[in-house]
Amino acid sequence: MTELFRFAVTLEAFTDLGFWTGVGVLAGTYTLFTLGLQINVGYSGILNFGQVGFMALGAYAMGILVVEAGWSFWLALPASILVAVLFGLVVGLPALRLRADYLAIATLAAAEIVRLTARNARDLTGGNQGLFGFDGTWADISETIEGWLESAGWDNPESLFPLFLVVWIVALLATAALAALQRTPWGRVLRAVREDEDAARALGKSTLAYKLQSLSIAAALGAIAGWFLALNLSFLTPQAFEPLITFLGYGVLVLGGLANYWGIAIGSIIFWTVQEATRFIELPISAEKEAAVRFMIVGLLLILLMAFRPQGMFGKREEMALGD
Amino acid sequence: MTEAAAAANGAILKVDGLVKSFGGIQAVDGATLDVKRGSITALIGPNGAGKTTLFNVVTGFYRPERGSVVLEGSEVAGAPPQALARRGMVRTFQITKALAAMPVIDNVMLAAPNQPGERLLGVILRPRASHRREREVREEAVELLDLFGLARLADAYAGTLSGGQRKLLELARALMTQPRVLLLDEPMAGINRTLGATLLEHIERLREERGMTFLYIEHDMEVVMGHSDRVIVMAQGRVIADGLPDKVRRDQRVIDAYLGSESAG
Amino acid sequence: MEARTVDRSVAVPLRSLRSRWRHSRLARLAAAHPQRAGALALLALVVVLVALEGPHEVAQRSLNGLSLGAVYALGAVGLTLVYGILKLVNFAHGDFLTFGAYMAFLMSVTWGLPLVPAVLFAMVTTAALGVFFEKAMWGPMRARKAGLLQLLLMSIGLAFLIRNAIQYGFGTEIRTLDVNKTDVVRFLGLRLGVTELIVIVVGVVVLVAVGLLLRLTMLGKRMRALADDPDLAETAGIDTERIVLYTWLFAGGLAGLAGVLAGALTTVEPELGFGLLLAIFAAVILGGIGDAFGALAGGLVLGVVIEWSTLFVADQWKLAIGFAVLILVLIVRPQGIFGKARTL
Repeated sequence: MTELFRFAVTLEAFTDLGFWTGVGVLAGTYTLFTLGLQINVGYSGILNFGQVGFMALGAYAMGILVVEAGWSFWLALPASILVAVLFGLVVGLPALRLRADYLAIATLAAAEIVRLTARNARDLTGGNQGLFGFDGTWADISETIEGWLESAGWDNPESLFPLFLVVWIVALLATAALAALQRTPWGRVLRAVREDEDAARALGKSTLAYKLQSLSIAAALGAIAGWFLALNLSFLTPQAFEPLITFLGYGVLVLGGLANYWGIAIGSIIFWTVQEATRFIELPISAEKEAAVRFMIVGLLLILLMAFRPQGMFGKREEMALGD
Repeated sequence: MTEAAAAANGAILKVDGLVKSFGGIQAVDGATLDVKRGSITALIGPNGAGKTTLFNVVTGFYRPERGSVVLEGSEVAGAPPQALARRGMVRTFQITKALAAMPVIDNVMLAAPNQPGERLLGVILRPRASHRREREVREEAVELLDLFGLARLADAYAGTLSGGQRKLLELARALMTQPRVLLLDEPMAGINRTLGATLLEHIERLREERGMTFLYIEHDMEVVMGHSDRVIVMAQGRVIADGLPDKVRRDQRVIDAYLGSESAG
Repeated sequence: MEARTVDRSVAVPLRSLRSRWRHSRLARLAAAHPQRAGALALLALVVVLVALEGPHEVAQRSLNGLSLGAVYALGAVGLTLVYGILKLVNFAHGDFLTFGAYMAFLMSVTWGLPLVPAVLFAMVTTAALGVFFEKAMWGPMRARKAGLLQLLLMSIGLAFLIRNAIQYGFGTEIRTLDVNKTDVVRFLGLRLGVTELIVIVVGVVVLVAVGLLLRLTMLGKRMRALADDPDLAETAGIDTERIVLYTWLFAGGLAGLAGVLAGALTTVEPELGFGLLLAIFAAVILGGIGDAFGALAGGLVLGVVIEWSTLFVADQWKLAIGFAVLILVLIVRPQGIFGKARTL
């Protein structure tokens, strides 16, 4: 009988709360990350391929300010958003005038500059050795939340659960805020900028300003996602901020569908559930090969989605005609 | 003539020695003209005369190499389109730019000026003012759509409109900006006579009631001769004639320019 | 009707700095003769560097930079042809390089055959890979009028697929090709690794051959015409099917070679090609998208300029400098040194 089943699925894994909380944190982090991509790509026509750079800036700025400069955690958070937004403005001001494909490459290059700086500026960032020690305040908060959970009846709360709670509260609030923003006159101008920039300009709209604002919002969301990544890992290395992350974000984006904010959360949950659940299929191959297969599946997903359902789950088909 | 004097004289828009070339081809080669306040002026000329290029330069979509554009007494050459639109000079496009994936009413509401809700800070800090203005804008937009007979299509996506309806939408949208000078690029192209007549009625009424100035590019000579106060003729990037419709019609240079282009084409 | 409030933010920036620069004579001359301007700028840079660091240092770095530059150029020529003719921003191109390197590794190290046939094997297999995906993916997607973003994301998916398939097959350990890493050639007081010299020679020879092919043959002319203006193809009756096939053969073959050379210079690992991809894009943009000669020059220039930066900064910053140059080029002249000015 065992010869028929080349692989086994460990069922107990599916009830491992620790594991699923971890997946949940990942999904929540990527929701925030990809919301930034959505406002850029789905609603402003900006092909931002440098989102991981904003994540890196948010994470490292927060870490550096707390560890190296001794700032309070609560001051470092908004400051790190400011750093990411400023970088976005510096890159965006010249780059947002560019054609879609040039912009994609420019933003990719900008994010790589951030990563390489993180790698090389060892005195500031710890380089490849990593930066850690910034999550003291979070450890306290986490304990407090665990205390509430205990008093609410949960005897031995999962240690990652507080982070899961916070990340999703923030992610859902951000989604609601963006959806609300989209219904305002500001959102209307943004859509017009994406539809036909010249028409918007002919009607008196400063389209570059709107694009900069869109990019700044994406930068802020990327930075916030960076915090949660940092708190999840408890230490930071440049390897965590490679272009791969942006590409995975795009995977979530097209799975959820363009021009739909609530779809991002769902797309992110599905994406990461499937990704991580594959760890429980015990194939007779090494861990290295399993990792390779996992990414091959992501690649295949991207190809198949783009070929057969470019609008993803909740997007509209017309939205994909970008840059034409 | 000084700019102040020109303004006082009633020229709302004055173009002087405008030059714009593309890779060696002089699309506009020293064009000089002025548009009187409250007038309906036609800009005509054979194909390739540089009329649309002139529009593009005047409204800020291209930067001129030389020359000046004076709007209401201020030099504006080289300013971006949105700046000029906010100063009251708005243009429509030859190939209509309806925002297809947005509803018709949104297209029109977009164009309204002074919307605090359009600024990010306005959305956050002045929600009541934004909502109030949004309601006003919606009412105005519905009125305007009604005027053009598009009210029943208000919630339809602009992409579903016919060519003629899109022209009307483009005009309605331009009017929503409360412009002082409206530059229309071939407003009659592709629409039937009745619709065209309606459009012309609107234009003439707007001139009477609001003192708006119109400059339009047109090929239909009946429309031009019957409905313009003044006709400006361009050929090969320059203004070759400028005056009352009847006078221009009989001008030998104008006849030559059209015949010349016919024999060459 | 409300009284119009004057929009104070509308300051007419008539004589702004940017507009003043653009209208200046120098800028207009530079825009009119970009190649000459580019060459002059490069020359000026060389003069400054020689003045600061001495001719020997500059010459040495230039030589070192040429080897990586040859790799960039070979990668860039293929990428720019695909970009220009097929309108595809191919993020999988880097992984074609990786594929080539591994194919050469397979034949020479694993199977023990000599290096030269291994290189040819790499080129042939990578070219075949390119054609395969054209038939399987790109052709059908083009027929469906797929948009820029769709194709771009597909190429990213393909990149994942190829890279991880290689990782699956070969593992993540760093491999090396069996090349001479120790011997050094000396001339004119300069020194160059034997491998680096071979890379430069092979690279330049192949590039010259490709250049001649593109310039002199009918096929080459048609490819260049198509890359320049794809609408032209319809009217000029160029057999696009054949051209597309040859484009992929070129792109794949050159990428395979570039990968082998890169692997020879450094090591063979799954991230090899993707790590070079952005620099290759930079070379493409520098030379003007669709312009094969531009990509050739762009690659060589980029390799040399990046190496020059080591005169002033530590080695590890090289790549970051390269990307900064890319962004600068995109800001100042996105159509590249050779591209025609298009209204963006």
